[in-house]
Amino acid sequence: MQKYFLSFLLLIATLSAQSYNFSELRYSDAIGKFTQLEGKITFKPEGLNIEYPKSKRVLEYDGEEILFYEDGKERELPSAQASQMAHYFDILKLLHQGDASELKENFELEELNGQTLLKPKGTIKYYIEHIELIKEDKILKYVKLFLKNSDYITINISNEIH
Amino acid sequence: MKYINHFILLSLLIIGFLLKDSIHISTNLLSLFASKESVEKLNIANNLGYSKEMLIAVKGFDKASKKKVRKIAKELEKLSSIKFVQYQVAPTEALQQYYKDFYPLLAHFDNKNLSKIDVSKKLQALYDAQFTNIFYTSIDKNDPLKLFSLDMQSVARASHKSGMMTLGKYGYLIRAQTDIAPSQMGAAKILYDEIAEIVKPFDDVVVFAPFFYTVENSAAFKADVQWIVALSTIVLIFIYFLLLRNVKLLTETLVALFSSMVFGALISTIFIENFNVLSLAFGMSLTAVSIDYLLHYHFHNFYETKSRIDKNVLYGFLTTIVAFGIFAFIPIPLISQISFFSLLSLSFAYVVFTFIFPHLKIKKYEDSAVVVEKKSKILPASFIFILSLLLFGYTAFNFKLDANIRNLDYQNESLRTAEKLFKENSSQKLIPVIVEASTEDELLSHLHTIQEKDAKSLSLASFVLDTKSCKEKRKLLMAYDFTKLNNFVNEEALKIGFKEGYFKEAYKFAESPMGCELPDLSIFESFSLATYKSEKYWYTIALVEESEAIQKLEFVTDINVKAMFQKSAISMYESLLLFGTIVLGMIFLLLFLSVKRNFLYALNYILFPLSFVMAILTTFFSVNIMHLFSLIILIAIGIDYGIYMSNSSKPRNTMLAITYSLLSTFAAFGVLIFSSIVALNSIGVVISLGCGAIFILIKVMR
Repeated sequence: MQKYFLSFLLLIATLSAQSYNFSELRYSDAIGKFTQLEGKITFKPEGLNIEYPKSKRVLEYDGEEILFYEDGKERELPSAQASQMAHYFDILKLLHQGDASELKENFELEELNGQTLLKPKGTIKYYIEHIELIKEDKILKYVKLFLKNSDYITINISNEIH
Repeated sequence: MKYINHFILLSLLIIGFLLKDSIHISTNLLSLFASKESVEKLNIANNLGYSKEMLIAVKGFDKASKKKVRKIAKELEKLSSIKFVQYQVAPTEALQQYYKDFYPLLAHFDNKNLSKIDVSKKLQALYDAQFTNIFYTSIDKNDPLKLFSLDMQSVARASHKSGMMTLGKYGYLIRAQTDIAPSQMGAAKILYDEIAEIVKPFDDVVVFAPFFYTVENSAAFKADVQWIVALSTIVLIFIYFLLLRNVKLLTETLVALFSSMVFGALISTIFIENFNVLSLAFGMSLTAVSIDYLLHYHFHNFYETKSRIDKNVLYGFLTTIVAFGIFAFIPIPLISQISFFSLLSLSFAYVVFTFIFPHLKIKKYEDSAVVVEKKSKILPASFIFILSLLLFGYTAFNFKLDANIRNLDYQNESLRTAEKLFKENSSQKLIPVIVEASTEDELLSHLHTIQEKDAKSLSLASFVLDTKSCKEKRKLLMAYDFTKLNNFVNEEALKIGFKEGYFKEAYKFAESPMGCELPDLSIFESFSLATYKSEKYWYTIALVEESEAIQKLEFVTDINVKAMFQKSAISMYESLLLFGTIVLGMIFLLLFLSVKRNFLYALNYILFPLSFVMAILTTFFSVNIMHLFSLIILIAIGIDYGIYMSNSSKPRNTMLAITYSLLSTFAAFGVLIFSSIVALNSIGVVISLGCGAIFILIKVMR
C-alpha cells in the first residue's frame, strides 16, 4: 500500500514539474565579452532546479533558500550571492508562470512586435533595467534581462523534456 | 415627609443628569489589576506602536493563497486607519535609499592598505570568474575589490517564500499597522468590523491583533454585566416582594436601594479617574446587602419604637464600613474602587433606612407571620469553632494560588487560538522590551549595548550606528587614501583586459561619507521599530531573546503582559494579605467590643463561613484574588449576622431577618455564578457558598 502511495506521490510530483533544456548567453559589459552555458531547468510549484551537466553543477531553489551541489556534493554559497540569485530565480519563475496580476504588480507591461517588454517597478528596478520575453502557446521561449550595469543575459528555452 | 424617599432619588437623578459629562466609566478590565507602573509601560508600548500591529495568516503556499494575500492587502490599504500593509520582504524604498546613503558607514570596511600587486591579483580573479563562474554575478563598479560588506540578515530576517512573507509552514503572512490605540474603543471597534468584513469572503484566513482582545472582551463583558444586572434585579424584586408582602415597603426599599446605588455611582465615577464598569456592577450588587439593615429594623418593629438608633445594626454597619474603609486604600484598583463605592452606598442606605424610613409610616410587622422555630439547634459554639479550625487545616494542605491575573478576564478562546497559531508558527522567538534613555543618542547607545549581549536582537541598533561608533568609522574612512586605490584599480584593470574607464568611479562613494546626525527613524517603522518621547525620556522597543543578562539592564523593561501581570499579582497578594490582616484585626476588636460575652459565638459567623468556603474552593479550584476579596466581603456580611444573633432579644425575628437577608444576598451575588467572566464568577461562587455556610450556622449552632 505504502509503495503505491509513494508511486502516486512521484507521479504527482512529475506532473506538476516542467523541465526544459535551455541555453544561456551572458554579456559582461566590464570585459565586453560573452559566455555561453547550457543546461536543464525544471519549474516546480514552489521553486525551480537548474542543472549544468557539463560542469556537473546543480542549483535547487525552493522559494526560500538555494542549495548548490557540485559533483553531487553540497557546497556553500556566499549569502550575498545566494540572495541575488534568489531574486533572479523568483523573476524567472514569475515569467514562466505568467500570472497576470503578479506580473502587473512587479512590472509595467508593453507588447512590442510579438515581444513583451517588462519595465520593473518596486525594488527590482534597482538592478534590472528591463526584460524582453517571448512566449509561444503560453510557454516561455525566450527571455532577455537587461541589467542596470549594462550586462545582459539571454535565455533560450528550447524544448520541454518529458 | 411622606415622599421624602422619592424626592431624594429624584434629586440624585437630576444631579446625575446635570453632571453627566463629568462621569467617566472605563471598560478596560485588565487595567483594574495592573499596577500603575505596568499601565504606564503598556501605554508607552502603545505609543511605540507595539499593540497596533495586526497579523493576517493565509493558509497554504499555492496560487490561490497568493491571490488571497494580494486581495486582502489591497483592501486593507484602502482603510484610512491603516498606516501600512506589508506582505513582501523587500525593503521599502525609503530603507533602500537609507542604505545607499549610509552604505560606507554601515558596511564593514576592510581597511588594510593594498599594493598594486594585491589589487591586480583580485581583479584578475574577478576577470577569470566571468568565464568560469556558472552563476551570473554582477561586477560592482564601485567596489570591485569587495572591501565593503554589509550584513543584511536583519533586513531579510522575516521568513519568506519567493519574496512573500510567510508564517512558518502555515502559509503566507500579511502585517499591517494601524494608528488607532486599543484604548480608542469606538475607532478600534470600527476598524475591527471593517477587517472582519474584508476577510469574510475568504476561507483559511486567520487574523490577530492585540486590540481585538479589547474590542471582543469589552463587548462580551458589557453583555455579560448587563444580563447579570438584569437577572439580579428581577430575582431581587421577586424575593423582596415575597419577603415583605407589603407593596409600600417594597417600593420604598427599592427606591432607597436605588438612591444608594446612584449616590455611590455618582461620587465614584465623578471623583475617581477611570472608574471601572466591573467595580460599578459589583458595587451595585453589594449595595443590596444593606437590605439586612431594613429587614432587621422591620422584623424587630424598630420603626414603631421611639429609639433613634438600634445598637446591633449600628455595630454591624460600623464593622462593615470600617472593613470597606480600610480596603478603599488598598493599591489594587478593583478592590479599592468596589470598597469606595460600597462605603458610599452602604452609608447612604444606612442613613436612609435608619433616619428616613421612620417617617414613612410603614405598616407594622405582625409577629404571627413568623414560622414557629423548630428546636433544631444541636451543636455548641465550641464545636463549630473546632470544626472551623479543622477546615482551615485542610485548606492549608490543599491551597493553590492562581497568580495569572489574565485568568480573571473573559476567556476569549477563539482569539487565544488565533494568537497561539501565530506564536507557534513564527520562526522568530524574540520578546519585546522597552528601552529608556534621557536622549535619543543615549537610547541608541543602550540599544548597541543590548546588541553586543544578544547578536540576534532586532532594534534600531540593527540599522543605525550610535554617534561614537559613527564618528570613529567616519574618521577611518577619511584617513584612507581612496584616490590612490582608484588609480591602482583603473591601471591594473586595463592591463588585465577590463574595458577602459569601467571602474572610473571606484571607491569615490567612500571618500566623503554622510555626517553622523541621526537619520529620520520613521523609515524603520516597517519593522515595528519606533521611538517615543515623553516629557522626560526617550523610549523604543527592542526584540530580544529571553535572557536574564538583558532583563537586568537598568534601562530595559519587560513588556511581556503575562510576566507583567504575574509580577503585579504577587504585589497584589501581598497588599491583600496586609490589608486583610488589618481588617480582620479591626473586625475582631469591634466584634469583641459589641458582643463581649458571646465572642466565640459571634466569631463563628466569620470563621465557619470562611473555612467552609475555603475548604470547598481549594478542593476544586486554584484560589484567585477575587476569591480572596469575596471572602473578605463574606466576613463583612457574617459579622453583621454574628452581632445580631449574639445580642438579639428576639432570636426568632432575628433569624428570620437573617434568612431573608441571606436570600437577598444570594440573589444579588449568586447570579454571578452564571457570568462567563472568571472575576465575577469567582465572586458568585464564594458568596453563594458563604451564604450556604451562614444558613447552616443559624440553623445548627446553639
